[in-house]
Amino acid sequence: MRSHLLVLLLLAVLALLPQVAGQYHLTLMIPFFAYGIALLGFNLLFGYTGLLSFGHALFVGIGAYAAAAITSKLGLRSFELILVASAVGAFLVAIPVGLLSVRYTKIFFGMLTLAFGMLFHSFLFKFYDITGGDGGMRVLRPSLLGMDLSTLDKTAFLTGPFYYYCLVLLGFAGLAMWRMVNSPFGLHLKAIRENPRKAEYLGVRVRLYRLFAFLISAMYCAMGGAILAVSTGLADPELAYWTHSGNLVFMVVLGGFANFLGPIVGAFSFIFLQDQLMSLTQYWRFFLGATLALIVILFPRGLMGLLQDLGGRFRAAEAPAPQRISHELGTERVNP
Amino acid sequence: MTSVIDILLGGLFHAAVLFLVAAGLQLVFGVQKIVNLACGSFYALGAYFGISCVNWALALGLPPSLFLPVLIGSGILMATVAPPIEALLRTVYRRDESFQLLLTFSLVLMTQDVLRIVWGPTPQHLGTLSMTYGKVAVGSVTIPTYNLLVILASIAIAALLGFFLQRTRFGRILRATAENRDMSAALGVNVKWVYASVFTLGTMLGTVGGALVVPTSAASLDMAVELVVEAFAVVVIGGLGSMRGALAGAVIVGLMRAAAVTVYPELEMLAIYLIVIAVLIARPAGLFGKAAI
Amino acid sequence: MSTLIQTLNVTKAYEKFVALRDVSFEVREGEFISIVGPNGAGKTTLVNVLTGLLKPTSGQVRFKDQDAAGIGPVRLAQLGMARAFQLVHIFPALTVGETIAVAVASQLGRSRRLFASLAGDAGIQKRVRTVAEIFGLERKLDAESRLLSQGEKKLLDIASAFALRPEVILLDEPTSGVSTGDKHSIMQVLVAAARQAGVKAIILVEHDMDLVAEYSSRIVALQEGRVLADLPPAAFFNDPAIVAAIVGKRTTH
Repeated sequence: MRSHLLVLLLLAVLALLPQVAGQYHLTLMIPFFAYGIALLGFNLLFGYTGLLSFGHALFVGIGAYAAAAITSKLGLRSFELILVASAVGAFLVAIPVGLLSVRYTKIFFGMLTLAFGMLFHSFLFKFYDITGGDGGMRVLRPSLLGMDLSTLDKTAFLTGPFYYYCLVLLGFAGLAMWRMVNSPFGLHLKAIRENPRKAEYLGVRVRLYRLFAFLISAMYCAMGGAILAVSTGLADPELAYWTHSGNLVFMVVLGGFANFLGPIVGAFSFIFLQDQLMSLTQYWRFFLGATLALIVILFPRGLMGLLQDLGGRFRAAEAPAPQRISHELGTERVNP
Repeated sequence: MTSVIDILLGGLFHAAVLFLVAAGLQLVFGVQKIVNLACGSFYALGAYFGISCVNWALALGLPPSLFLPVLIGSGILMATVAPPIEALLRTVYRRDESFQLLLTFSLVLMTQDVLRIVWGPTPQHLGTLSMTYGKVAVGSVTIPTYNLLVILASIAIAALLGFFLQRTRFGRILRATAENRDMSAALGVNVKWVYASVFTLGTMLGTVGGALVVPTSAASLDMAVELVVEAFAVVVIGGLGSMRGALAGAVIVGLMRAAAVTVYPELEMLAIYLIVIAVLIARPAGLFGKAAI
Repeated sequence: MSTLIQTLNVTKAYEKFVALRDVSFEVREGEFISIVGPNGAGKTTLVNVLTGLLKPTSGQVRFKDQDAAGIGPVRLAQLGMARAFQLVHIFPALTVGETIAVAVASQLGRSRRLFASLAGDAGIQKRVRTVAEIFGLERKLDAESRLLSQGEKKLLDIASAFALRPEVILLDEPTSGVSTGDKHSIMQVLVAAARQAGVKAIILVEHDMDLVAEYSSRIVALQEGRVLADLPPAAFFNDPAIVAAIVGKRTTH
């Protein structure tokens, strides 16, 4: 119960934030919402099913390019349509990619997904006529729930209607994910992560469920990508580059992949850490990398793990199963 | 005919450099079981450092014809970054591989800025120095002698590496440690030392590769992350952990790229990823890999 | 009584090495079959063939009159055969309750309920509790599996197999690594559980001849991949040649 209260409190804070926070920080909240949604999905695959993808930027890219194609090529503006198209597009691409990738686990899975991601990136990069090449494609201002908001200036749009829209979206995406990880379906994913052979003998169709997790994660990433593209007004190939996939993993580990809220905490910390570093030094990548190294070496359970260690009270209130894996994966290699 | 030879020579030159980096990747994976995303970063470090060393040497009055040994020497010298990095990696050897991968990814991020701090954001190059050695005619085409030298150097290194791994005592220790770390430790092998040497050797292959490539193309900040995916392609095609695989994979990727660039430029990297995916689907262990996972 | 499992002239060869030659036997309803034999006799291969993991090189495997050769563990679980492993197989980070729930949910066909609450599924939870009670694990329902004692892990492994409500259960050395005293108590729990759960036949792979003698209704002895004997316990232990071949060799290890 306490966890429900905590989440409601957080949502309330986020809802009231536009009244108190400055415009600059509010515009940063949009990428936070975008990555928050994307990573919730990513972590279903990574934290819950145990598959580390190094190519999920592919799906973020699909969402972004869907937004670009719909607004600049088709001339349609409905953001709901963009979201649906992103999810459907990602789903359709994820079927073949997932079918081929989930035959493998561990490093082979990572490498295969990386190859697919880079395949998509070079497609975006090279087929200038369709994708605009390295310049990317413009994403025009979408309408929200049928409301035309093109008269607002960009900041007012991002910190006003779009802010609340994304907040609600994150809320729904989080709720749906919460139900998934606590459903019989979610339990099967965890069983697969823990011991695929045993899961099979208990009647779990391991590959099929890995594929399901892959498809869901792809759709979440694409919806995040659509939001991201609206906030920058651009869909460019960098979104699908492998280092962007690396950043997705970075964020999840930063927050703590063994915790339901880890990806959201990770997205938030990453966005604001990056922003702080960029304002302090032009060599922010170095410090970002150093932070990652530090987290990996000293705090493998991420910020949420750190929080849990700090307060035993927290432990009782958190998601039951996912946090427990942290110990296994965090400190020792899990024996297959 | 001319273009075929062009593609062949261009592809082999690229393959020669790719092989060095991929061999480093394979060595480290084979023994330490770590897939090192930072292999491209070592390559970039070697490239930048090579340029600086050659420029210093020329300023000190070195005859331009001696720049090749200076490049190789600088590559070897640059590998001194390896032991401290290996000490960092040591903290995650027994952890899940996702952490190992991420730690090397953090190295990628950090190195990119180290390069920017030391050498600045603009690409560096050695001008026309590679023409010092003149050109040679191969059939109907002429290519810089330097490119031919690099191909030969890479072949020599491959042969040396093969001899080293198969015929020397240290090579046998390496292979034993790769097979079973704990057993080797129990038999008195100093695993710590083996890991440090392997990582240094792997790094050196990368830095030398980077140093050798700079006379023909500029060193830029993006070269690290770009090369990683090519090196990945090489090891996936050849088989993770296999030296012969690195050789075969490098030749395939090098030639494919050269062919695609000449015939249908849009396909350049696309073609390589398609091969990678095809190989992973048909032969997950790669052409020379051990049994499937 | 009807035949549940039937193998007919099963041969399994790995390149040059032949692990099983012409193995034929049946498992009928109500039987407790023990599979015995020295190390390397082909027991593990036979178990893997019976559980659909390996496809025999030639011959037939039938389960409830359906072709079961190489159909894979998932399909076999759906058809009604469960397996407990020789080495403990658990889900380290899942609780005892969750582990059993995996089997219950999959047996009830509720695995694809994406948005339904697991904790709120009374049907699943009730059966989880029942299974836990049979195996004396009800007080550990919320404990993580990795924190259990070795004996409890073993019980959990078997309990989750029972939770599939199988008609046939295959136990691969269920008491290996357990002290002699505990062996009998584990076997008693197992047999009682099988009776409660309505299991129609048990296949036991076992080295411990005391257990084999005590519980089996029939013994299938393998030697170098062939069926050396297929006899009731009394006849088996009264044949000095067979005992020497199977038990004698065993003691040399």
